Amino acid sequence: MRLPRLGLPNLGLGVGLRPVHFAYILENHPPVDWFEAISENFMDSQGRPRRILAQVAERYPVVVHGVSLSIGSADPLDFAYLGKLKRLADTVKACWVSDHVCWTGVAGINAHDLLPMPLNEPSLRHVVERIRVVQDFLERPLVLENPSTYVGFVGSTMSEWEFLTRMSSDADCGLLLDVNNVYVSSVNNDFDPVEYIRSVPHERVVQFHLAGHTNCQTHIIDTHDDYVIDPVWELYRLAHQLTGGASTLLEWDARIPPFPVVHEEVLKARSYMTEQGISLPASDAARHALGDAAGVSNPSVSNPLSFLIPDVQG
Amino acid sequence: MNDDPKYDLEQIQRWMQAVIVHPLGVEQGIASDDARQHVDVDSAGIEQVVTRSKALSAVERLGIYGYAYYARLLECLKEEFPAVLHAVGEDAFNAFALGYLQKYPSRSYTLFELGAKFPRYLDETRPADDRGSEGDENTAEADRAAACWIQFVIDLATFERTVGEIFDGPGPEDRVLLRAEQISSLASEQFLTARLVGVECLRLLPLRFPVGDFYKSARRKEEVAPPDPAETFLAVTRVNYTVCHHSLSRAAYELLSALLAGECLADAIERAANSSDGAEEELMANLQTWFADWAARGYFRAIELAG
Repeated sequence: MRLPRLGLPNLGLGVGLRPVHFAYILENHPPVDWFEAISENFMDSQGRPRRILAQVAERYPVVVHGVSLSIGSADPLDFAYLGKLKRLADTVKACWVSDHVCWTGVAGINAHDLLPMPLNEPSLRHVVERIRVVQDFLERPLVLENPSTYVGFVGSTMSEWEFLTRMSSDADCGLLLDVNNVYVSSVNNDFDPVEYIRSVPHERVVQFHLAGHTNCQTHIIDTHDDYVIDPVWELYRLAHQLTGGASTLLEWDARIPPFPVVHEEVLKARSYMTEQGISLPASDAARHALGDAAGVSNPSVSNPLSFLIPDVQG
Repeated sequence: MNDDPKYDLEQIQRWMQAVIVHPLGVEQGIASDDARQHVDVDSAGIEQVVTRSKALSAVERLGIYGYAYYARLLECLKEEFPAVLHAVGEDAFNAFALGYLQKYPSRSYTLFELGAKFPRYLDETRPADDRGSEGDENTAEADRAAACWIQFVIDLATFERTVGEIFDGPGPEDRVLLRAEQISSLASEQFLTARLVGVECLRLLPLRFPVGDFYKSARRKEEVAPPDPAETFLAVTRVNYTVCHHSLSRAAYELLSALLAGECLADAIERAANSSDGAEEELMANLQTWFADWAARGYFRAIELAG
């Protein structure tokens, strides 16, 4: 019988490591359970970012989370990238390596977005084969996240949760269940987020993501720029209950508040680790129930990517 | 169950990418030859490929990705080139950046490479300087002013990119660096035949504008006038994870360049002495001070003695 979380530990409540918080973390050593670092921000660094990650890794458990693996792309896998990813993971003693079920570009281009795949048999075979190759190369399981999506394809023949279930089983990989992404995609693609959470293979969920988003009334953009909304917390409660708990991480990537605010937000998860009745608005109702609409005329950007600005003297 | 979709994965991905990176929006992208060579549908037939939601059409849904593509990458370029943005303003920067992203789309897994060719792009697309004899005096003056302005922007972009590369590139922090006494204590013959080895992060920039002060003011978002053109030579390096830059005279620049190219001190000094009028006198007067300063600034990691 398979161990929950692929036998990987439940690290507790963590925060995404962002440059704006570097100084605070190094000076105050906040009592965070663990950090998640964006792989691509550190794998080539020979400067302060890499030094800071090393310092953080000396004190906290670290997971490396990628945005450019492009496991779903029709392009060949980039083994130079994978080599750097492996070295980074080894160096910081990463608890695991994660990325997304998506493609980020094709024909040599990187769009730097988490683009959706048609969910059908050929896509499934393609992804499963590539996950096996990557896991063999990295010599560790890959943990893959459901991205927020804004389009669906006529060529899709299965739900996202069926795709994830079969993918994780066939490739023997882990899942990073982004509860906010489930909610965002449920509104954008008119499915029931509760059915999604109930249907994924719970024993393969290694980690959860939580984040805020922007409600544009007609759709939701995964902006990571706000507090987690109540319906997402309720989905988290359900997911926690069904999985028995897993490492939980808050992502905050735009309009980032001071570190204590971000930390306080993820600590709210403790309140949702109890078994209470699930009362969620259906996706239709949720669209209208949510406030703070940005409107389509002022579009937001999904998956904002933290960047680093150098200090200069002279 | 359908195991043979109408379009294979590569077709769908090449099509979607062509649609969402089109600079005029996804409708133009759908109609473009680049997209239609992979999936031959127009906007009216788009729902044969992409589904609509209850609230949005298929084109509107694709538009979310199209908007995000340019918005995200423009934001990254603005973070990498804040002084250029400060100098040219939002509209001009967006125009430069949009053109750049079309000519040099990202081909790297890392956004640190996104702006690598931005200075080159600005140089490649500068207005041609061949209208001087055809226009009147006012036009010629305006052309000269425009050419001068774009050169300033290119210099600024070159400097910002260099700063970024040094910030995150290999640095001297874990190395033992050469001390000034190790140079000054050499006997004359040893000194002249020795080679100095620079730290990997030391870069020398010959520029036509003194961009350093403008760069610092722009980073602080202070209103400051662009500098007048002036022959400028900068040494840019890193100390304790902070990027530093210092101005050099032409003779000092020539000397350091020759040393970093691997020439021995005698050859480097000779090259520098012949580089301009008065260089020899300047070298004679300043050589000791320069080496002391450069060593103190951590420019060198070793000295290699001949034989």
